[in-house]
Amino acid sequence: MSSISIRELKLNFGSVEVLKQLDLEIEDGEFLVLLGPSGCGKSTLLNCIAGLLDATDGQIFIKGRNVTWEEPKDRGIGMVFQSYALYPQMSVKGNLSFGLRNQRMARDEIEQRVSRAAEMLQIEALLDRKPAALSGGQRQRVAIGRALVRDADVFLFDEPLSNLDAKLRSELRVEIKRLHARLANTMVYVTHDQIEALTLADRIAVMRHGIIQQLADPHTIYDRPANRFVAGFIGSPSMNFLDGNLVRNGSAAAFDLAGQRISVDGYRANGGDLNGGGTAVLGVRPEHVTIQAQSRPDQTIEATVDIEEPMGADSLQWLRVGDQQLSVRKRADVQHEPGSTVHLDFDLAKASLFDANSEQRL
Amino acid sequence: MSDLAVNAPAVAPETDVAAPRGPRPTRALSRRNIILYGTLIVVAVYYLLPLYVMIMTSLKGMPEIRLGNIFAPPLEMTFEPWVRAWAEACTGLNCDGLSRGFWNSVRITIPSVVVSIAIASVNGYALANWRFKGADAFFTILIFGAFIPYQVMIYPIVIILREMGLYTTLSGLVIVHSIFGMPILTLLFRNYFTSIPEELFKAARVDGAGFWGIYFKIMLPMSLPIFTVAVILQVTGIWNDFLFGVIYTKPDNYPMTVQLNNIVNSVQGVKEYNVNMAATILTGLVPLVIYFVSGKLFVRGIAAGAVKG
Amino acid sequence: MRSLAERVYVWAILLSGVAFAASRIGLLGDAGWLHWLFLAAALGAVAVLAVEANGLKFGDNRLRRYALGWIIAAAVALVLWAFGQKQVQEALPFLTAQRRIWGALEPFGLYLAGLFLTFMASLLVIGTLDPIADRPRPIERTLIRRLPAKVAAVPMVMVALGIFVGATLWTVYHSFTSSKLLPKSDFVGFDQYERLWATNRWIISIENLAIYGVCSLTFSLIIGFCLAALLDQKIRFENTFRTIFLYPFALSFIVTGLVWQWLLTPEFGIQKIVRDLGWTNFTFDPLFNADIVIYGILIAGLWQGTGLIMVIMLAGLRGIDQEIWKASRVDGIPMWKTYLFVVIPMMRPVFITALVLIASGIVRVYDLVVAQTSGGPGLASEVPAKYVYDYMFGGQNLGQGFAASTMMLLTVLVVLIPWAYLEFGGRKRV
Repeated sequence: MSSISIRELKLNFGSVEVLKQLDLEIEDGEFLVLLGPSGCGKSTLLNCIAGLLDATDGQIFIKGRNVTWEEPKDRGIGMVFQSYALYPQMSVKGNLSFGLRNQRMARDEIEQRVSRAAEMLQIEALLDRKPAALSGGQRQRVAIGRALVRDADVFLFDEPLSNLDAKLRSELRVEIKRLHARLANTMVYVTHDQIEALTLADRIAVMRHGIIQQLADPHTIYDRPANRFVAGFIGSPSMNFLDGNLVRNGSAAAFDLAGQRISVDGYRANGGDLNGGGTAVLGVRPEHVTIQAQSRPDQTIEATVDIEEPMGADSLQWLRVGDQQLSVRKRADVQHEPGSTVHLDFDLAKASLFDANSEQRL
Repeated sequence: MSDLAVNAPAVAPETDVAAPRGPRPTRALSRRNIILYGTLIVVAVYYLLPLYVMIMTSLKGMPEIRLGNIFAPPLEMTFEPWVRAWAEACTGLNCDGLSRGFWNSVRITIPSVVVSIAIASVNGYALANWRFKGADAFFTILIFGAFIPYQVMIYPIVIILREMGLYTTLSGLVIVHSIFGMPILTLLFRNYFTSIPEELFKAARVDGAGFWGIYFKIMLPMSLPIFTVAVILQVTGIWNDFLFGVIYTKPDNYPMTVQLNNIVNSVQGVKEYNVNMAATILTGLVPLVIYFVSGKLFVRGIAAGAVKG
Repeated sequence: MRSLAERVYVWAILLSGVAFAASRIGLLGDAGWLHWLFLAAALGAVAVLAVEANGLKFGDNRLRRYALGWIIAAAVALVLWAFGQKQVQEALPFLTAQRRIWGALEPFGLYLAGLFLTFMASLLVIGTLDPIADRPRPIERTLIRRLPAKVAAVPMVMVALGIFVGATLWTVYHSFTSSKLLPKSDFVGFDQYERLWATNRWIISIENLAIYGVCSLTFSLIIGFCLAALLDQKIRFENTFRTIFLYPFALSFIVTGLVWQWLLTPEFGIQKIVRDLGWTNFTFDPLFNADIVIYGILIAGLWQGTGLIMVIMLAGLRGIDQEIWKASRVDGIPMWKTYLFVVIPMMRPVFITALVLIASGIVRVYDLVVAQTSGGPGLASEVPAKYVYDYMFGGQNLGQGFAASTMMLLTVLVVLIPWAYLEFGGRKRV
């Protein structure tokens, strides 16, 4: 049974459509990440699930119950916010127990749950402090603890790590992953950081303009992006896009790049028609291109060496093909003379071809 | 429409925090500094003069006033005018001094301040966090109402109060003060509650706190500064009010300002300037003390309350 | 059909509330039963819905909790009503002490009981109509969702509509009647206005207001800005100076007026001091000279109010980017030029704010005049606000008071509307 099920959800702010006919099924115990640039509606969607925003149309089910018009407290959710949102006048303990006190839970039960959550998050020593006396990382732990004590079916995270510095962020990321492994609750996690998405998610929903562009596991998202937007949004350094034409090369289809042709034999199509011809865009990640000294017919493309960006362990080599640019990830100790000509071998099994007009993956 | 009633509330708090930003100062006794400080001191003397004259006059006996110079300090200091102003000055047939007006003002000010702030803070909170359809429209009317001359509304209010049996009573005046304090206070609280991170409010909702739960347990404990500002604003505003006092109360219930005016501007009897000045100082004392004690908060309050006009 | 019935219900409830409030303040006269009519209309709408629901279900009614709440509320209201009844008061001795309070609450009790019972009925019907809420419909949205916030906003709505709109319109309407001692509702056209503009006292008031207004605006802005600019020069004792310039603002107009009345008394005040110094012909008696009395009031008004403008200007100056000063120093522009051509244009919004504040204060000038001159000598320092008060409460000529106050409102609108248009007309409301 799916844990959260969203059906034809619509939300308008005035005349602006923030969410458009959105459908989403989240499995029990799944870690789903909502990923997208700011303004894509991911936080809005999370707030709808939490009941903090009223939907304009559509339904939200949590554990099979229609909660579209229920109060947030009645939805069996726990939520963690970007700014921590700790009540400044209450101690850590007060913060953790506030929700339980509102439920009029027995005092020893509250005590028990608070100490269990505190132990799980290693914040026992901080229980009597005020939030102002905590560091950012500690505050976010408390905020997670506040969701934890509620014993919620569903955890909602709204960019919880964005306010932390890089080191703390990676620490807490691991911790959240561990927490999920231990609790096996359904978690919905909003972020604009693709590293967080790729490391944490069972499945990622990439959103733009209030529409889910692709919903899949991290591997699929990375290797077989559904459209050019997803392809460009995921991955760092970002994917190269080369404009060209699909042509027939004898019996097989080939990609024509400014007169040079490569065979698309190894390409794993999404069912698109490669033989139809027409303009197309070849998307290939910098690590899926290798620089060769020798040319091979129908396999390699000639390119001119441009500048190099060293990145530590490896480096990014910029090249030109006709008037288009692309980058290739290579070992730092291999040098190429700027201006010289090299041959590029594309790993088409991991590349993507997009229709130039619809930008959908072929 | 949020910031309608003026940018003042938004910028005013900065006054004391931000460092001066003019051009860099030069040597201590440059020509520029002499002109600068000279001007400031002359202006300051002009502003202080009335206060000084008031105090000096109130400490002199009548013979000395008739002979002397209003700026001269008293040759013979006497506190008798103060005692007379407080306990014996006459308005009409009553000769029990300003003390009656003082206690009336206290009885008017305290409930008015409490009621108006209670209503406006809840209102501001509802507007900031629980937006519902139509709320903005009413709020806009409310803020525009702050600019409507009171004279347009006073008579219908007389009728309403009379129908409710509250005309000329202190409770009636409390209601009037609560009504006319509402626009500015609501704006003040609304802006303050809007500045509290929305996520805090969301977190409290997820934690199961309702409308009143969030107000009392989350918002109120965080709002001490704004409540102080509101109290200062209201106490000075209501204490200094004259128009409503004279319209909505009867002589027994006149607040201090009305009584002061009646004492000083009464046509019968010999004018006792020293008693008049003592009475004037006494009336101004409460807001002055609040002003000098509260300092920065007062500045915030008046900058926000300036719309009240 | 259903949707129509729900909307009729909501409107009927609203109108019945308005009618009840209006009848409580005697506005409706004989039509004091109107709120019951609207309540009946609401019940009719509920009946239409009930027919559609085909009988009530209580057991699995999703809204029964709320319906129960309303029935309890109705019971409380009924008790209030009962406490206002003579027989009940005689039976329960503890009620007799506050008989007046109970009597005043009685009509509210009865009306609220009726209202709450209607609420309860509608919720039971709605709960039966859709056992699960797919989407709350009008009645549910108004009666359940965010109800506490709506209840909390009732005072605001009542004040906004009842006082600021209702009372204003009432006055404007009655300015077209021949009201004398009591407000009448016979329409006489512009008679009151013709009489108003034919009255010497009103003309003087308007002239005074114009002089006072123009001078007060100009001097407040100039002095306020200059003081703020002086204080912004990184001076020592800035706080002391600011405290001194601002303290008059804490004083009431009555106190201000009386102090300046004393300072400007010819026999004792400034005139005497200067004469004692040797200029025996020196004359400075603004409060006793009909030609210049308004300037005597202006001095007091400026003394009281410029501090506020200074504070606002100072805040504006502090809000300006410090880089401006560096840039103008690098370019070698003299300081006064920087202020005049760079800083002041940047402070436009602050100036507008100050302008609106001063302007809305000017129209209301009343206490100051009453305390300082009582309108004298003769009629020389009369102002419109005083005209209104004197005719409404002294002269027993309400119509003139209403007409004069409507003119005041018009003056404010002339200032306010262009400002609101400039400030908010251009950009969309957020």
